Amino acid sequence: MAQFMLLIRGGGEAWDNFVPEQAQQEYQKYFAWADQLRSEGRLHGADELKGGGKTVRVRDGQTVVDGPYVETKEGVGGYYLIEAADENEAAEIAKGCPTLRHSGLIEVREINEHA
Amino acid sequence: MKRKTGEDLQPDVRQLVDHLCRHQAGQVVATLTRLFGPQHLDLAEDVVQETLIKALRQWSYRGIPENPAAWIMAVAKHQALDILRRERRFRDKQAAILQTIEDTADTQTVFRDMSDDDLRDDLLTMMFICCHPAISREAQVALTLKTLGGFGISEIAHAFLTPESTITQRLTRAKRTIKVQRIPFALPNTAELPVRLNAVLDTLYLLFNEGYRASHGDALVRDDLCAEAIRLTSILATHPIGDQPKVHALLALMLLHAARRPSRTDAAGDFLLLDAQDRSLWDRAMIHAGLAELVRSACGDELTAYHLQASIAACHALAPTYAETDWPRILSEYDDLLTIAPSPVVALNRAVAVAMIYGPEAALDELARVREMPGMNAYALFHATVAEFRRRAGNHAAAITAYDAALRLPLTEPERRFLLGKRAECSVF
Repeated sequence: MAQFMLLIRGGGEAWDNFVPEQAQQEYQKYFAWADQLRSEGRLHGADELKGGGKTVRVRDGQTVVDGPYVETKEGVGGYYLIEAADENEAAEIAKGCPTLRHSGLIEVREINEHA
Repeated sequence: MKRKTGEDLQPDVRQLVDHLCRHQAGQVVATLTRLFGPQHLDLAEDVVQETLIKALRQWSYRGIPENPAAWIMAVAKHQALDILRRERRFRDKQAAILQTIEDTADTQTVFRDMSDDDLRDDLLTMMFICCHPAISREAQVALTLKTLGGFGISEIAHAFLTPESTITQRLTRAKRTIKVQRIPFALPNTAELPVRLNAVLDTLYLLFNEGYRASHGDALVRDDLCAEAIRLTSILATHPIGDQPKVHALLALMLLHAARRPSRTDAAGDFLLLDAQDRSLWDRAMIHAGLAELVRSACGDELTAYHLQASIAACHALAPTYAETDWPRILSEYDDLLTIAPSPVVALNRAVAVAMIYGPEAALDELARVREMPGMNAYALFHATVAEFRRRAGNHAAAITAYDAALRLPLTEPERRFLLGKRAECSVF
């Protein structure tokens, strides 16, 4: 088994437009998906990331601190750290994430473990 | 490791989230309304709405926290401060309101330190505000469901078969009335209490009735309405200001009806008459609770329609079978009810009691007498009842005439099916 980061990009705007009943229904879907993973012992962490943020880099020899790297709606809004046999299985699992229904996409990246 | 499916877990979570979004939301709205003032009810609702969505969004990653209610309370306070700083219309009031929030005890624990009594006081005060006599009755119901019940506008519209725009309008007008009349965040004083309490009881009764009697729409929404009415009436009944006989009578009536609800319809959703209902489906614990409330209502010197209705419901709930029902007792209660709160439904139900004691011809005589009651002739149930007694009296041709009269009037699908079935039984003769 390997570990994968599922990086959630976009899809956050939908939440901004929900009324509580919709948010509740949406939450049920996330719960169904995530809790299935938890009960299978596949989910090792997950968190929402706040929008905005800072970018630190060297420009013209100077270390500068800029604003966000990309616009919030393209940036990573959260992550799930899951266990899967391989990238294909991880991608299959990612297909169940409700963010896909709201124009979100999921970047699937394997954690590099030199076993 | 035992495999649990998402479906197994969902009902508990759905209930928990539902409870938080409805009841907790209602509690937070009430407390924020106390802090901001009733003229800023909109703000309190906005805060709670944003808080709930934030909560669910974060919980979609992390799962539900250990103490979700406390989480919601704490975030609501921060959210309130954010909105105040953001919203132009609050700029001038901002300083005063911010001061109130920041002053209250410790900045982190403004809600957490509140006792259960404090929380309940806020909820009750909000109830009296929502049911203020200056607000129209339909708006009172909508406002109660929205602010205290955590119902959404579309849910309310769906429950009452009313367009969403109408519900929105009612809510807007109600809030404007609260502003214009400067309704304060306070429980009614002794002088105002009788009128104010009656207004609350009438609204809660209407709410319950809507859930209980409605034959349209989603069964779950109707159950929610009954449950919400019972919940709010219970909170009222256990508070010193609501610990009065007629409040207990209303609660008794609600519990004794709701307890028998599971037997009212069959698997197809069609209605069953009381004689055909499976009494083993009745909620015994709820009947017990209802009877306890009835006992609590049996003091003081005010006999209300709620007392009589609760008493009648108790007669039914206590009868082991339809045949063993105490019909003479029920009849005498309907006699009283017809005096203090006459209505077509009461008259018709009374006629049923007459039929059970004196036979169908006597009941038909009664129905002939009440035919002149306003609205009676256009009431499908009147003709259906006439038809039923004619059928029992063996006058099948006349029964068919009455069934036809009923079928020409507005009916729901289950009602129509029921009457067609009965009519068909007659036409074999």
